[in-house]
This record gives sequence, C-alpha cells and structure tokens, in this order.
Amino acid sequence: MNKMMLGVIDATTYMEPIHELAAHRSIAAVPFAGRYRLIDFVLSNMVNSGIESVAIFPKYQYRSLMDHLGSGKNWDLNRKRDGLFFFPSPDLHIPSPHLGAFQHFEQHIDYFLRSKQKYALICNSYTICNIDYQLVLQRHIANQCDITEVCHQGRSLEMFILETSLLLDLIANRVQTGYNSIVNVVRDPSHQLNICHYEHHGYVAVIDSVESYFRHSLELLHPEIWKQLFVKSRPIYTKVKDEPPTQYTASAVVKNSMIANGCVIEGHVENCIVFRGVKIGKGAVVKNSVIMQKTQIGERCELDHVIIDKDAKVENDVKIAGTERRPFVVRKGTVQGALMNR
Amino acid sequence: MVKKKCIAMLLAGGQGSRLNSLTKQLAKPAVPFGGKYRIIDFTLSNCTNSGIDTVGVLTQYQPLLLHSYIGIGSAWDLDRRNGGVTVLPPYSEASGVKWYEGTANAIYQNINYIEQYDPDYVLILSGDHIYKMNYAKMLGYHIEKGADVTISVIEVPWSEASRFGIMNTNEQMEIVEFEEKPVLPKNNLASMGIYIFNWPILREYLEIDNDNPHSSHDFGKDVIPLLLNEGKRLVAYPFKGYWKDVGTVKSLWEANMDLLNLESELNLFDHAWRIYSVNPNQPPQYIASHASVVNSLVNEGCVIEGSVEHSVVFQGVHIQKGAMVKDCVVMPDAIVGENVYIEKAIVPSALEIPAGTIIRPSLSGEEIILVTKEWLEQQRSETIEKG
Repeated sequence: MNKMMLGVIDATTYMEPIHELAAHRSIAAVPFAGRYRLIDFVLSNMVNSGIESVAIFPKYQYRSLMDHLGSGKNWDLNRKRDGLFFFPSPDLHIPSPHLGAFQHFEQHIDYFLRSKQKYALICNSYTICNIDYQLVLQRHIANQCDITEVCHQGRSLEMFILETSLLLDLIANRVQTGYNSIVNVVRDPSHQLNICHYEHHGYVAVIDSVESYFRHSLELLHPEIWKQLFVKSRPIYTKVKDEPPTQYTASAVVKNSMIANGCVIEGHVENCIVFRGVKIGKGAVVKNSVIMQKTQIGERCELDHVIIDKDAKVENDVKIAGTERRPFVVRKGTVQGALMNR
Repeated sequence: MVKKKCIAMLLAGGQGSRLNSLTKQLAKPAVPFGGKYRIIDFTLSNCTNSGIDTVGVLTQYQPLLLHSYIGIGSAWDLDRRNGGVTVLPPYSEASGVKWYEGTANAIYQNINYIEQYDPDYVLILSGDHIYKMNYAKMLGYHIEKGADVTISVIEVPWSEASRFGIMNTNEQMEIVEFEEKPVLPKNNLASMGIYIFNWPILREYLEIDNDNPHSSHDFGKDVIPLLLNEGKRLVAYPFKGYWKDVGTVKSLWEANMDLLNLESELNLFDHAWRIYSVNPNQPPQYIASHASVVNSLVNEGCVIEGSVEHSVVFQGVHIQKGAMVKDCVVMPDAIVGENVYIEKAIVPSALEIPAGTIIRPSLSGEEIILVTKEWLEQQRSETIEKG
C-alpha cells in the first residue's frame, strides 16, 4: 500500500501582532529556541516521519527563508528524486485567504500532478511541536477519513492530511464550490466530507504574536517542556553554522538558561534563551530575555524581559526593561546606546 | 582529471598507542578534541582554508569511525567535483594485500592517485597535530626559495629538543643536517611533519626508497636523510604559532586546557580561519538553576546541573546535580552522576560515572587520570573492601 505523503508547508502567513520580529523576514524564518528557525520544527517533523518530498509555498520577504533552507541538505532533502521544492506566489498584490490557498497551489499544480505520493500533508510554518505524522496517517486510513485535522486541546494546529487526488479536485473545483483554501473546506459544516480530528498530546506552541513568541521561548527553560521538543530519536534539524563551543569566562554566572554554540559569556545570565555567537560582556546582568544570534551586549548592561533580534548591539551600561506581556524588542541590526536612555 | 598545482596527502593511519584506551577503538586522528572537534578537523580545515581542495587521506589503523566521519568531506567543504577528499586505505593487488609499511610507503602505494592530478607540488601532512597554518604561504615560500623540499619547523624549548626530529640549518634556512631525537641537539628547530615536495623529485625518491630492502620506508628516518645525502635543496620553513602533538594522555589534556586560556594563540572563535567539523545536530546546552559554569568550553546538547570549572565539555554530556567537574575533559555523551567529584581527568565518550564517585589526581600531583570502565570497577571494589 502506498503510504507516502507529500509535505506542503504554507509559509505565506503574515500576522500583524508579530510584526516586530517579522518586518524583514517571513514568520517561517523567525529564530527560535537558540539555534532554530520556526520552520525547522515542521520540516524536521516531516523528514522524521519519512516524507521525502516537501514543497514550501512562501509569499512575502522570503530571502532569509531561502538562505536558511538552501538546497535542503541539512534536512537530508537534497535528493535526485523528490526533495525540497520552493514555490513562491506570483500574486503579491492579492492577500492570501487562509492557510492552504488553492489558488497558490494551482499556480504550481505540476508539482501535485507529477508527484506519485498518494497523500498530502498541509501545515503552517509556525507551530512548534514534535509529532510523528505517520501515526496521524495511520489513523486517517484506519478511520476512512477524507481529511484529518491535527488538534491540541481543542485548538486546530493547522495540519491536514488528505489524499492528493482529493486535494487536486478541491483545487480544480474551487470556483464552483467556493472553497478557496483547505481551512475553508474544513470549517464549512455543510460539505459531504468525512473530517476527522487527531489529538496530539505532546507539547505545542503556536507562535502568532510577539507576546506568544516570548512566552513560549521562556517556557523552553522548563526541562519537562524541552524534553518533549528535543527527542533524541526525532531530532530537530537546522542550518549548520560551524561555531565553536560556548566559552564561559571566570566572571560568568549562568542560571536556568538555554545557550547555543559560539557564545562568549562573561556576565550574569538568568532565565534566558541565548542564540549562536552572542557575546555578553563583564558585569552585564541579563534576565528573562531572548538574545538572538550574533548580538553583542556590552559591559554592565541591565536587561530584563527583552527580545534582542539578531546582529544587534547593546552598548556598555545600557538599561532596558520590558514586561512579561510586553517584552521590549530591539530590532535586527540596531544599536542601543547608553545616550538613548537619558 | 583537471591538473592541480598542489595536492595534499594526509597521513591518518596512526594508532596513537600512547593515548591508551582512547585509541583502542579508533585511530588517533579521530580522537575528540576541543569540545566539538576531532583531531583531524584541524588539518582538514587548514587545507580548505588554505585553498587546497584535493586531499588524499591515508588510513590504516581502526578506520571505521574515521571513514564514516570524513564521509565525502562535506563538513570541510571538500566534496568537490574535481578533487575533494579521497580516503585511501591499503588495498590488495594481484600479488596480495600490502599494508602501509611506513609513511613513505603509504604515499608510494598511492602514486596512481597522485598522478591523476598531475600536480607540481605534493604537501605531506599528518592528522595528529593541533595547529592552524596557512599552507598556501608555505607553498609560496617553497617556490620563492627554489627548494626541492620544504619542511615546516617550529622552535621548541632547548630542554625538549632531544624529543624531536631536529633540523640543523644555515643562515639561508637551508637544511644541512637532520637529527632524529639527538642527545645533544645543535639546534632547536623541530620538524612538524609537514613537507612540501616537488612531485617529480618525491616520485623519484619514493621509488628509490621502495627498492631499498633495508629502508623502513619512513619520511623522517629514510627519505629525508637520503635526499640530504644526494645534495638536494631542503629548506626549513619557520612556523610561528600554536602547534601541539597530542600524542599522550597528558598532552591531549594540556592542549584542551590551552583552549581555556583566553590569550591562547589557538583561537577557535576566529571566523577568518574557522575549524570545521561534522555537526552533531543537538539542541542548545541547558544550564540549570543550581548549576555553575566558569572558565569552560561547553558544547551543544549538554545538560549541566552541577558545577563545571576550568573544563572542556563535549556535546551531549550530562553533569548531574551536586557534581563537581574541575580541570577535566569530558567527551561526548558521557554522564557524570550526582555528587561526583572529578578533577584533572579525561572522561571518554559515553562513559557513565556512577553517583558519588570521587576521582582526583594521585598524591604525586601530576598524573592526569584517563577514566575507564575498568578503572571505575576497580575503584568500586577497593571501596567495598575498605568499607
């Protein structure tokens, strides 16, 4: 029996509440958990579930996403047969309706027509979990479902499994049926399709605002949570950076933090997520914060409830504080000088 | 094949028997180093950073892990259409299997590999040393000096010179005499085991050496003295910088500790000369609330719940609550149990140290302990006897 799936990742979504982190990148490419981008989780789940053909449908600001994914090599998707496909939308002026826009799929219909996989899995790019899609598919087949939607505690995770042939029908007949996306189909109570729900029991984080980004980032510091996300047998893959191990100097004090490679820590770090290649200067006190890659934090800084985007620089003696609900965001590549606070 | 100006031949077949149990299952170049690397990463990264894109890696002793680690060379950007990495283990011919009988013999048996690229120069390297070096500069020096052979040398303390192969040179840096481990050294320039040969000369002398039944087929012992006797132009290339042969448990430990010195010449954080390695793909390290980490290098995938002081900790290591790790090298996936005290030791890959174990240097104060399963069992039975 053909149990192969196509992986389809809709990376078109733009959400105003996360604008501060996604002004110059697609949400799929927002850095998360110290060394990953949001899309790494869904992509790794697909690869770990035996999916060998993954199509990514991006729309806006996808340069950083393409740079991150490259040939797909880090996910073992640089294949002669199948592999990673990139299908940007030509209709930048038309906003996407919901996840899984049929018109966008139609523009790359050859991918679906040429693929031999019997089933298709459609996912968004910003749901963080560690899930085995083979188990979802088995349930889908056993219960003779037309579409299976993955949920967590009553909330849709925007992951759908259906037969590729049904997807092709839905795309072809979208004008007659009025359904312009997969979400449209599933949400309409009047259709004749057998819609099933699959409950995923592990940890889930949906990143749809700066507030949820911040909350879910710091949640990772609970061992019972990161242990559900980072499972040895089902690793999360990402772009390799060849950074050395992290160096802690004599003055370093680190408590309850997740720290990636290539950092030099000379200050005090507590309840933080620290990405690759970050430098934290002597006497600095950084608490309850997310510090993205290659950021430099000067000496004697005091930061609390802050998100610092990549390549930023915080000069010596700067004090910044946000709150749990409203973290202070330092934009990518900017410099925070001591003078600004006077 | 496209002609190459210079190709490298990397000798990686050494057993490294003085590393004791660390090299029981793997070749010395594959021994973990520096928190995320293996020893051979330094030489391979030097090649790629120097623009040498064709590297033959000669393996012999315990090659399985080394072969799978090198793969097709992608980690060092050496997966190339023309050239790249080629692993060259001994092979059999119609006349029988021929093991590599010495460093020169290993190269001799791969003349066909070298000839494919029709090189002008061949760089001979060993996969046993920790250093960063631009081979392109050495090649420039070799050409400028009009040498037949250039040998890279480093100044060693006079008191240690009798442990090395010493090059006696004149003012033009021409080598006039080579002495292997001289009792009374006349110079303190030690050979680093890095040679650049003009390929026609190397080829000629490999064949002469091969026909000599009394030769041990070694570069240092046989080929270099022969070239000197024949009046060839051998020049020394003085290298300045960090260089260490990590041939013993103590020197391996010392070289790891050198990385913790922020002023060390071996800067792993230099983006202009990155050291590449095969990525273990692990999540970031997690430092728990009651942990303390100072003066240390810690890699991805570690969970630190105890105290780490002046140590190098590789990927996937778990240091449990109440444990104290001081002046140690803890290799990948090792587990240091609760309330363990361990000082001046090397913990090999995947070893589990049971809770409450105390490991500290013997009273002589100098020994570095290489912890092994057998050692742990012996300690436990002694404790039981005493108790």
